[in-house]
Amino acid sequence: MTVTQLSVFTESKPGHLAGILNILEKANISVRGFSVSDTGDYGIARFIVDDPDGAQKLLEETGKAFTLKEVLCLKLADVPGELARVMGILAECNVNVKYSYSMISTYIIISTDDIDATKDALSKEPVNIITQADIKKITADRFA
Amino acid sequence: MTDLDITKKKDVKQAIEKRAFDLFPIYRSEVECASRSDIEKIQLEKLKKQVRYTYDNVKYYRDLMDEMGVCPDDIKTLDDIRLLPFTDKEVLRETFPYGLFAVPMDDIIELHASSGTTGQPIVVGYTRADMDMWSECIARLVQMAGVVPTDIAQMAFGYGMFTGGFGLHYGLQRLGCAMIPAGSGNTERHIKMIEDYGTTVLIATPSYAMHICEVGESMGYDWASSPLRVGLFGGEPCPPSLKAEIESRMHIVCTDNYGLTEVVGPGVSGECLAHRDQQHIAEDHFLWEVVDPDTGEAVADGEVGELVLTPLDKEGIPVLRYRTHDLTRVTTEPCECGRTMARMNKVRSRCDDMLIIRGTNVFPSQIEDVLSTIDEVTPHYHIIVRTVNGMDSLTVQTEIRPEAFSDSFEEMTALQRSIEEKLKGVLLVGAKVELIEPGGIERTMGKAKHVSDERAR
Repeated sequence: MTVTQLSVFTESKPGHLAGILNILEKANISVRGFSVSDTGDYGIARFIVDDPDGAQKLLEETGKAFTLKEVLCLKLADVPGELARVMGILAECNVNVKYSYSMISTYIIISTDDIDATKDALSKEPVNIITQADIKKITADRFA
Repeated sequence: MTDLDITKKKDVKQAIEKRAFDLFPIYRSEVECASRSDIEKIQLEKLKKQVRYTYDNVKYYRDLMDEMGVCPDDIKTLDDIRLLPFTDKEVLRETFPYGLFAVPMDDIIELHASSGTTGQPIVVGYTRADMDMWSECIARLVQMAGVVPTDIAQMAFGYGMFTGGFGLHYGLQRLGCAMIPAGSGNTERHIKMIEDYGTTVLIATPSYAMHICEVGESMGYDWASSPLRVGLFGGEPCPPSLKAEIESRMHIVCTDNYGLTEVVGPGVSGECLAHRDQQHIAEDHFLWEVVDPDTGEAVADGEVGELVLTPLDKEGIPVLRYRTHDLTRVTTEPCECGRTMARMNKVRSRCDDMLIIRGTNVFPSQIEDVLSTIDEVTPHYHIIVRTVNGMDSLTVQTEIRPEAFSDSFEEMTALQRSIEEKLKGVLLVGAKVELIEPGGIERTMGKAKHVSDERAR
């Protein structure tokens, strides 16, 4: 009933997250969900992949500091109020959610030290940046 | 006990554990095991000659001694060395390149220079007799480490002007070893050569040895069944925790030696297998003193102070009372290994690598000692000092061990805080700890640079 999450220690510096992703990519391991958070000095990158055993082997070989953790993966219906409903169940049971993130989505959120510079850099590449208005429109279209 | 063979990898550690030091040969036992009075007799005889030689052949010393009103004939006892002037590294810089040479270049057969990590390089010249003395000192210290003439020794120091490369090369050849002059770099090739050539002795900086170890492990090389038996380290101080880790992961016995380009290079003293934190000084070639770094006065017997060295028979550059800036203490008690040559404690700190953080004296070796007691981090570290809001700020970067990582910011932050508290308890000044990925602190082939002082001056 659980899935295996890989948590990897990363320094909060350019290239460190990309380094881990390159290792996985080279072995054709597909990242199906992820979350990265940091304390300012270092961060924890959490991954859900299609082949956790293979990923574990690779990370061991490259000497990364990482750990495996069993987590729950829930499939929510894409209807308004669904996230609130599920969290409500947990709240009623007095369960504290340490962290939560979504997977199998091609919309990703990133936070950086300099949002404007990041935006400028991405704008020069074939990357689609979504606005708040887009989110409103996508939601409206879907549930119209 | 006699069934142990110290040339066999599996027997060496056992011989050390059983304290069977009679199994280890001593290169020149008639001197290395001489009585204290005999050692002092040799020293006094050589000192008188050397002071006369220096006065007659080096204008710098002649002028200085004339000015001080000291003449070579004033040296009647070993203690009379205190009449002579000290020599500081600055003098070698000011007289660069040949100002302190006591012989014409025709008599010099080799030049070496310091790596210049702490300033502009200084250059030294060796006569044939100097090279002979130097090789002998190295042969003694490699034998102290258990090296024997049948060994095959692979050089992983860089050659070039650095004294470590050629110094160890000549000394190991003097003993009768087969030298493989591989030089530094190309780590995978080093591992292949160890296997192909049956290398039994590796010469490297401790940080490069660690790198070779890690690369070997990642290639799947089995160090336990490797022919390698002995590691000879130098070029930088070797933290005990790093050495212990290399010894257990590479299945070898490692020693390090001490020396300075200005005095001779490696060969001044070498680690003894009976007292792993001490090194025997080649006292018949180097007269030692331990002085208060501030006053220059001798400290009481066995007290810590700055090591001052006078080479007793060097011809090329005969320096007098060279201030090493290295802090140590020396004992003349005979050693369990059979040698009587004085033992100096390994140099962990220099007078000049002391950092003053917000008015408090901090030695990098103190930080190293604290980190070595913490299981969750590796022996690699880096210290950064900055000016933040006009105040000194100390940051210690340390590598987390893969198995110590957990998927919880609380636990990682708790580890960070506990290291910070332990540091504060010893240093008496606050330090910020940064956790770094395994392998994230740079491994060097030369001297590891442990401190970055980025303060505004």
